[in-house]
Amino acid sequence: MNKNLRPLLVSAGGMLAALALWQVTATGPMAGGPLPSAAATFVQLAGLVANEAFWAALAETLVISLAGLTSAAVVGVVTGVLIGSFEPVRYATLAVLEFLKPIPPIVILPLVVLIFGPTTQMSWFLVFFGCVLPIIMQTVSGVHDADPVTLDTARSYGLGRTEILARVTLPSAMPFIGTAMRVAAPAALVITVVAGLLGGGPGLGLSIYQAQAAGDYPVLYAYVVVLGVLGLSFQGASRLAERRLLHWHASYREVLPA
Amino acid sequence: MKLQEKPVTVNNAAAVPPRLEVTALSKTYGSGPSAKCVIEDLTFTIGTGEVVCIVGPSGVGKTTLLKCLAGLQPATSGTAAIDGRTIAGPPAEMALVFQDYSRSLMPWLTVRKNVRLPLRHLRLPEAELNQRINTALEAVGLAHAANQYPWQLSGGMQQRVAIARALAYRPEILIMDEPFASVDAQTRFELEDLCLKIREDFGMTILVVTHDIDEAVYLSDRVVVLGAKPARVLDVVDIDLPAPRDQISTRALPEFAEQRTMVLSMIRKPA
Amino acid sequence: MNRKLTNWALGVGTPFLLVAAWWMFSENSTNTFFPPLGMILERFQALWLFEHFESDVMLSLRNLVVGYALATVIGVGLGFVTALMPVARWALDPLIHFLRGIPPVALVPIFISLIGFGIEMRLVSITLAAMFPTLIATVDGIRSVDSTLKDVSSVYRLTRAEKLAQVYLPAAGPQIASGMQVSLQVAFVVMIASEMLGSSQGIGAMTLLAQQSFMTSDMWAGILLLGVIGFGANLVFEVIKNKVLAWYVGSKRLARS
Ligand SMILES: Nc1ncnc2c1ncn2[C@@H]1O[C@H](COP(=O)(O)OP(=O)(O)OP(=O)(O)O)[C@@H](O)[C@H]1O
Ligand SMILES: [Mg+2]
Repeated sequence: MNKNLRPLLVSAGGMLAALALWQVTATGPMAGGPLPSAAATFVQLAGLVANEAFWAALAETLVISLAGLTSAAVVGVVTGVLIGSFEPVRYATLAVLEFLKPIPPIVILPLVVLIFGPTTQMSWFLVFFGCVLPIIMQTVSGVHDADPVTLDTARSYGLGRTEILARVTLPSAMPFIGTAMRVAAPAALVITVVAGLLGGGPGLGLSIYQAQAAGDYPVLYAYVVVLGVLGLSFQGASRLAERRLLHWHASYREVLPA
Repeated sequence: MKLQEKPVTVNNAAAVPPRLEVTALSKTYGSGPSAKCVIEDLTFTIGTGEVVCIVGPSGVGKTTLLKCLAGLQPATSGTAAIDGRTIAGPPAEMALVFQDYSRSLMPWLTVRKNVRLPLRHLRLPEAELNQRINTALEAVGLAHAANQYPWQLSGGMQQRVAIARALAYRPEILIMDEPFASVDAQTRFELEDLCLKIREDFGMTILVVTHDIDEAVYLSDRVVVLGAKPARVLDVVDIDLPAPRDQISTRALPEFAEQRTMVLSMIRKPA
Repeated sequence: MNRKLTNWALGVGTPFLLVAAWWMFSENSTNTFFPPLGMILERFQALWLFEHFESDVMLSLRNLVVGYALATVIGVGLGFVTALMPVARWALDPLIHFLRGIPPVALVPIFISLIGFGIEMRLVSITLAAMFPTLIATVDGIRSVDSTLKDVSSVYRLTRAEKLAQVYLPAAGPQIASGMQVSLQVAFVVMIASEMLGSSQGIGAMTLLAQQSFMTSDMWAGILLLGVIGFGANLVFEVIKNKVLAWYVGSKRLARS
């Protein structure tokens, strides 16, 4: 028992030590500077929780992330299936998709802000743009990966195109789509924050920007702590969802990155 | 790493000073209610320059025993000792060929570099280093595959790379865990004879785990038969066959059949 | 054979077609958001190859390269320490995972508040934000090194240095590399963000500035350059990765076929 408790104790000790270091640095050598103390930050955090504007910003952040993610998922899977089902289309789009994939949405942020202004649509579009490409590409790989023997069997049993799609192609693409979604969900949150922080879109990103611009450092840090917790929940939730939904799939384990 | 200069040939266990001594060794995995006792009260010795085989049913704890001998995991009670020194960590004079050969080779190194890896810190002169590697690879018939990667080779070839790595290391005590399990019959005979030859040439003490009773009888001076759960020594069979052994004539001897039957009946006997 | 040729032609041809279509349709464009491609390219040349090459392009790239290099070294180093020392692992794990949850860009305002708007801030932001993916991948990679390989290193009594450099590092290599690839993306994003947030130097700042002053062609030129850098950086990474991890790529390909 004692042995199992030790890692927990050391972990708790590590966290406490980090907090203590923060507190001491902020009140000692850097007192009066831009680094607020841990205590001040947590006081502000408590203040935020009682603040209606905070909950509104949080809700906006969540709504934008999830709306962007959902629309990207729908459009991405449909497009991916279409591209993946027709070989010429797959080849035609390959180079373009490969070129666009490593380009993060922040690159087109100035253009999107120019067109939409600092609005919810702007943030949503940025999230959509950032999430849809990986989902398309994974879906294409998944469709392409469908077992040719199973496909042949399905055809020889006289299954129609849509039936094959629903019964063979999509199920076999599921793990790929699942992986893409697991990666996309935390990314959606990050992009929403980017859109708020740099593009003035509503939500926590904007709140952070305003706190920084106003020099209200304890609030700034409190928001960052909130984002840390939120980010962890997004990662945890998407991983859990993937495991719950796909644990039955034989190739589930293979698809996970090594 | 000193090797004995004079070849030693031994058949009589009693005349040989014990090199490896296992005394009342037991091993339990885990603790508390989930504890699993794999080995209980194991005692046997191996003399210098002897070849001893361990046979026993699958899952009885042979690999566990070898890991204790190699100092990879501590015994729960009892001791294993080399020349009277209790084994606490991997001993310098020992090499171990793992059962799981495909996982025991470094996939990022070529065959040659795999064999070379353990020799780096011995600081041998370059010429001797190369000579050792070449000899070892030739001995297992893999000189031609030196620059390939392990994952490009068949299972049997990978197993031979693992053996070559141990040979090039020139240990005084060589322990092998089912080393010939996935090589073809012809190669298997050659490797068995190689095993006997390096004992002659270098006076190595060799301990081999095998499932093949014929192989155990052919190779050994003694066969340790493990059985029951947790593992105990059911019997130690002295193999009295004339040296040098030969794949055809030795296996044709009536004594060979006798000893083989003896070991087999030990294994089949209900506990 | 014929089909292969068609596919190949499609793959190469489509990007050209798309660019040509962009050129044609935008040629007489009066839409302020979508200026003619010709004009964008003209501005691209004037801005990035001449006017702002040294002052902004090189500056951004230098920050990216230095910040990313530091992030990699610190990430891998700290990852080794965390993975191999249980006490360090227990103590740092929750902290590392909490910090990883924070969107990297949200760290930029904090560093601005601490160090100001200068180059140091940008370097520190890039380094610290890009460190986490590599760090976490290194820890995971080392923790999942095959136990048989560890046993082999012990039996053959490899020295500590040999174990680290010849066994743990290459064994964790594929995972470290995929962490480093994410780190590269993060470094790139934070490079842009740190320039956009209140700086007047660098490609990101120039692009945002152009947008705010409605110089759309300049903005497009900036977007184009950033896109090319994002793509190019990833390409260079892939090429190096495939070279260094040739054994891994080869074994995976063999296992699949
Ligand atoms: N690390 C471990 N933790 C818990 N149990 C273990 C561990 N390693 C082995 N065992 C158990 O110990 C028993 C003996 O395993 P071991 O591998 O030593 O058998 P073996 O005789 O080598 O079998 P085989 O002939 O199949 O190789 C098995 O029941 C196994 O499940
Ligand atoms: Mg075994």
